[in-house]
Amino acid sequence: MRVALIGNQNSGKTTLFNLLTGTNQKIGNWPGVTIEKKIGIIRGTDFEIVDLPGVYSLSPYSVEEEISRRFLFEEKIDLILNIVDSTSMERSLYLTTQLLELGIPMMIALNMKDIADKRGIHIDLKTLEEKLDTTILSISALKKTNVFNLIQYIKMGDYRKNNYQHIYDHELEDAIESIKPIVNTKHSRFLAVKLIEDDMVFTAYHTDETRKIVSALSKDYLRDMEQVIADERYRYIENIRDEAVTANRSQMTWTDKIDNVLLHRFFAIPIFMVIMFGIYYLAAGPIGSYTTQVVGEYMSMFSDWTRGLLIDFGASSWSVSLVVDGMIAGVGAILSFLPQLAILFLLISLLETTGYMSRIAFFLDRIFQKVGLSGKSLIPFIIGSGCSIPAIMSARTINDETEKRMTIMLTPFIPCSAKLPIITLFAGYFFRNNSGLVSASLYFFAIGVIFLSALIMKKFWFKGKHSSFILQLPDYKVPNLKFIIFDVFEKVKAFIQQAGSIILLASIIVWFLISFSWTLNYGIDPNQSILASIGKVLGWIFYPMLGTYSWGAAVSALQGLVAKEQIIASMAIIAGHSETTSEGTLIFGSSVFSFFTPASAYAFMVFNLFSAPCFGSIGAMNKELGSTRRMWQAVLFQTGIAWVLAVIVYQIGHLIEVIL
Amino acid sequence: MKLDSQRFHKGDQTKLSNLRKGQKAKVVFLNAQDKALRRRLLDMGITEGVQIKIKKIAPLGDPIDIELRGYELCLRKYDMSLIDVEVIS
Repeated sequence: MRVALIGNQNSGKTTLFNLLTGTNQKIGNWPGVTIEKKIGIIRGTDFEIVDLPGVYSLSPYSVEEEISRRFLFEEKIDLILNIVDSTSMERSLYLTTQLLELGIPMMIALNMKDIADKRGIHIDLKTLEEKLDTTILSISALKKTNVFNLIQYIKMGDYRKNNYQHIYDHELEDAIESIKPIVNTKHSRFLAVKLIEDDMVFTAYHTDETRKIVSALSKDYLRDMEQVIADERYRYIENIRDEAVTANRSQMTWTDKIDNVLLHRFFAIPIFMVIMFGIYYLAAGPIGSYTTQVVGEYMSMFSDWTRGLLIDFGASSWSVSLVVDGMIAGVGAILSFLPQLAILFLLISLLETTGYMSRIAFFLDRIFQKVGLSGKSLIPFIIGSGCSIPAIMSARTINDETEKRMTIMLTPFIPCSAKLPIITLFAGYFFRNNSGLVSASLYFFAIGVIFLSALIMKKFWFKGKHSSFILQLPDYKVPNLKFIIFDVFEKVKAFIQQAGSIILLASIIVWFLISFSWTLNYGIDPNQSILASIGKVLGWIFYPMLGTYSWGAAVSALQGLVAKEQIIASMAIIAGHSETTSEGTLIFGSSVFSFFTPASAYAFMVFNLFSAPCFGSIGAMNKELGSTRRMWQAVLFQTGIAWVLAVIVYQIGHLIEVIL
Repeated sequence: MKLDSQRFHKGDQTKLSNLRKGQKAKVVFLNAQDKALRRRLLDMGITEGVQIKIKKIAPLGDPIDIELRGYELCLRKYDMSLIDVEVIS
């Protein structure tokens, strides 16, 4: 048996899905968290349940909504579990009336009843049940009330087998009845309505007969049939509402009070900037750097200890070098950033679950509109400060094709968590006392780059046309601590896994390339190694932003394609192989990287932050942009912009350094 | 810009985008020509006769958050100018 879980966006579907299946899928408090269908098994049964992206109607507006419509219409489903948001009954029931037309058995889970009660919205379950002829269960997915009963109902099949009532006026109902036998599929009624609406998606189902019926109908109504149907649906819902729902909704809600401050005419944007600055300052600034330093010290202790241990065992010098200078140096350089990343993940998770994110989209829409983006682009941008891959995917919720494509191409500009090690390392060393400020400056730099690129794209690639912005503003919610901890833990785990697999492998390869010459001689001068010769070929690309030919910087930057944090791992391995010239951190104290000045350091950061993202993100771009040509366009555009900016930064910075 | 400063009173017919914060109105007609947009507005409950209240205005004046059918929805001013309303208060 297969159950489909469906409801409006942000109605708590995934929270319920997690409860029903005992899994931990990602939840958030903004419309469009779920962008792909997810399958699970209901606890204590062998029933399959499918969590579908939220929709407001079965006429999809964006990609992820189309996934839901297609699934419901084309797949075999035994039961629809429709989750209805008690706090906005009318809009929820609008979807319900369409779902009932599919002719699939259905149950309703009335969610957030507790919040509705608090707001003075009273829902008469019995009347509602009778009116819709559907079994309704009041639950709270957040507080887990009545979920067990829900499972029992599903398990026993103990729900009303709804006989759908007439909801339209006689003329419409007659037309539907006469179309039904002509189309004759398992969703006849649904299809009949769609044909009357003249929905583009279903044009193929039209026959001469149905066309005749529909055109006669529209002659009688003298109005757009789509509108007639929507009006009729809402009229029907209003009738149900009048009988089953009583509301005295006049008092100020908590959400209104908070919004009076956070959406204040003058304070909204300053507050937003302080919040974002705070997040990056905490993660990349002094606190983050301190944790990195502490872990880094333990790492080097561990490294020395391992070296001693291996030598005691009588391991050969190359194998000791492989483990210590290759594997531990590379992976260790990355792992020391872990606490800092955990801070970043935690703060982003908080942003996502409180409901503030939709507000940011709301009040920044005006600015984004000017450069051809939508306020909704901001959601991928913020998620992108964690990881670009889910961020690029979340751009699906943007319905306008141009805005969506631009957002996908711009999202990798946001410094993701893997770029944080680069920022922390360089900023911490070259801008000691101002490291927090410099780190934060790079995020604002990124925003500047995004605006600039958007303007360029708008000018040359995408013709400007009008687009819309339709977004539901959710209520604020107190974040669920358990979920947040889990979310952070999952991301930390993924980072460690990446360090233990991709970074480890890449580190071994780098170690090999730097330890051997083309003639496979071990124990050579790193400048004679295979790696150096590759780097020397690429060195000229980086000359204008570093002021010198550095093969080490060149090969490391190249490895950013594997993973951005690999740049640091590679630099650590290369530095470990060359002689130390000065005191200080391992990397910048080595002869290979001692040339860095604040100007070239900043320029190198700029290049690595904004150039082509890692392979994972490039793959996500390829998928979401829908064509390899566009993906290449994006990658070349990003790398081009990064190179130009890095060169400008270095040249200006260098000039300042010379003058001072 | 002149239109902005004009105040509309009960019974006046105007566009939804001309209302001020806190004002209520009833939808009279949907002018949206773009089929997808029109469909979306209908789906979100903006049908003829529905009551809308201007709830919040973004700090930069656009978009605007409206309340209808017991929930809140953000729309750009341009889209709101496609909705004809009759002012209630």
